[in-house]
Amino acid sequence: MITAKRRPPRADATRGQKKEQQIQKVSTGISGLDLVLGGGVPAGRVTIISGGAGSGKTLTGLQCLLRGAEVGQAGILVMFEERAAAVRQDAWSRGLDLTRLERKNKLYLMEARLDPAGIVSGEFSIAGLLAVLDQRIKAMNAKLVVVDAVDALLHLYDNPMRERRELYALHEWLLDRRLTTIMTFKATPGEDVPGRYAFLDFMADCVIHVDQRVTAQITTRRLRVIKYRGSGYGRNEYPFIINEDGINLIPITSNVLQHRAPGPRVSSGAAWLDDVLGGGYKRGTSILIAGTAGAGKTTMACVFAQAACLRGERVLYLNFEESAESMASNMLSPGLALQPLVKAGTLGIRSYLPEAMGVEEHLFYSLRDLDELEPEHVVVDAISACKRMGSDQAAFEYLMRVLNVCKERGITCIYINQTAGLDVAAEISGIGVSSLVDTIVLLRHLLNGRSMERQLTVIKARGSKHSEQFHTFSITDRGLDRVKS
Amino acid sequence: MRKARKGETHVFRLFVAGNESNSLQARENLARLCEEHIKGRYTIDTIDVLKDASSAYKNHVLVTPTLILVKPIPAVTVFGNLNDTRQILAALRLKCPR
Repeated sequence: MITAKRRPPRADATRGQKKEQQIQKVSTGISGLDLVLGGGVPAGRVTIISGGAGSGKTLTGLQCLLRGAEVGQAGILVMFEERAAAVRQDAWSRGLDLTRLERKNKLYLMEARLDPAGIVSGEFSIAGLLAVLDQRIKAMNAKLVVVDAVDALLHLYDNPMRERRELYALHEWLLDRRLTTIMTFKATPGEDVPGRYAFLDFMADCVIHVDQRVTAQITTRRLRVIKYRGSGYGRNEYPFIINEDGINLIPITSNVLQHRAPGPRVSSGAAWLDDVLGGGYKRGTSILIAGTAGAGKTTMACVFAQAACLRGERVLYLNFEESAESMASNMLSPGLALQPLVKAGTLGIRSYLPEAMGVEEHLFYSLRDLDELEPEHVVVDAISACKRMGSDQAAFEYLMRVLNVCKERGITCIYINQTAGLDVAAEISGIGVSSLVDTIVLLRHLLNGRSMERQLTVIKARGSKHSEQFHTFSITDRGLDRVKS
Repeated sequence: MRKARKGETHVFRLFVAGNESNSLQARENLARLCEEHIKGRYTIDTIDVLKDASSAYKNHVLVTPTLILVKPIPAVTVFGNLNDTRQILAALRLKCPR
C-alpha cells in the first residue's frame, strides 16, 4: 500500500494565491466569475468555454471583451456563426453600445462565416482567416480575441485528424502572439464534450463548462471550472443568472464564517415584548418568528419595522406573500402606518413571486435590494413561501445565503415562518434554518372557552435571559398589546 | 436562363497563402484545367492573402486555397487544392460538349 500524505482539499478560490502571483490574469468583466477564477482568465493563453445552446458562452466572451475595451485593451470577436449586426442588436437590447467601442477602435466584430454553398475539394488551411486576423490585431494592437463557435470551423474538416491538427496550429498561432483568447464551443447538454473534441480540453490552459438544467420546472444555469493550469480556482458548480446586466454569478467564496458579533439591543417595538425577550432583539442577529396562519407574525414584524423606521433606521421588507400595497393597507388595522415610511425612504417593501424565478435570481434581486437600500434590518415574509422557489433545498440555500450576507454586514434579519398545524412546536424549525437563527419566537392560537387566544413564547434567545412562559396578547388598533391574565 | 455565347470569358479569383503546398497545387491544377477546357477564354486573378488580407476579408475568404468563379454567374466557391479533377470540372461547369 502506498501511503501518501494527503494534501488538504483545496476549498475555494481564495486558496492557491501563491501560485497566482506567477500567472497574469485578465478580468472577465463578471465579478463573480473572476472570484471563482482567482482574478480572471490566464493572460496570453487560451481559455475554452463549452456549453449547450443558449447557455451564455458568447455573452461571457463578449463581457470579457467589453471589460477589456473599458480599460483600454482592444479586442476582436471572431464569429463563425453569427452576423455582426445580430450581435450588435443583442448587445443593444442589453444596454450595451458596441458601435461606440467599434468607432473607438477598441472592439472589432469579425464575421467569419463560410459560404454554406461552398464546395470542398482537397486539402486547405485557415491561412486566410489568420492573415485577416493578423492584420486586424496589428492595426488595433489587440490583446484579446474571442473565437465564437470554434466547432463550426472544425466541422469544415470532416476528418478528426485534420480538425485536431488545424486547431493545434491555431492554438500555437495565438500563443505566439501572446493573445488572451477565449474560444467557445457548443457541447450537447448531457454529454460534456464529444470524445472527438475532448482534445480541446487538454489543449487549453483553462476550461469552463456552462449549462442550464430544469428541476421542478425552474431553470438554473450553472458554471464549473474544469481546469486551470498554474492557478487555484473554485471547484464547485456555481449557479448564475443572465439578466439585463448580463451574466451575474454570486459564488459562496468565503469558507469561514465572518459574522459580526451581535450588536446592542434594539426594541421589538412593544415594551412588554422587549421584557419577554430579555431586553429586545440584538442588532445584527437573526430572529425566527414562527406560528400558525393569523397568529400575528406579520403584525409583529411590522411593529418592529415601524418602530425602527421611526427611529430613522432603514428596513427592507422582502415579501413573498402579498404586494406592498396590500400589506400597507392591511397593517392599517393594527394601527401601523407604513405608507409614509415607504415614502420617506426608510422602509423598502419589495414583493416577489417565489415561483417566478430560481434561487439565484431571487438571491440576486435580494442582494441588489440590500445594496440599494443599505438597511439596518431585513424582514423575510415568509420562509414557508420560499419553498415555492423550487424545493426545500432551494429555499434553504436562498435563506442561508441571505442570512450570511446579513450577518456579515451586521444587519438584523427577521424570518417569518408559517406553520401548518396548531401543534406549532413540532414544526417551528422551517426548512432547517432554526439552528442558524439566534432567537425563535413562537406564536400560537389556543382555545380558551369559546374564543381563540393568542399566545407568544420565546423558545431560544442566544445570549439573553428571556422569559420561558407563554404570554397572552391581542392585536388592537395600537399594535400588539399584552393581555394580563 | 443564361445565354451561352461563344467566346465567353471565364473569370476566376484564386486566393492562396504564399507558397504553401496546397496553394501551389491549386494554382497548377486550375491553370491546367483552364488550358485543357477553356483555352484563351479565361482570366485568373491570383491573390496572396498573406500580402493582401483586406481583399481576403472583403471576399469572406477564411481558408486557403479558395477559388471563386466570378463569371459566368452564378458564382461558385470551392475550398481546397483542387486535386479532384472530375469534381472540379463539374462544379465549375467546364465540361463543354464536344
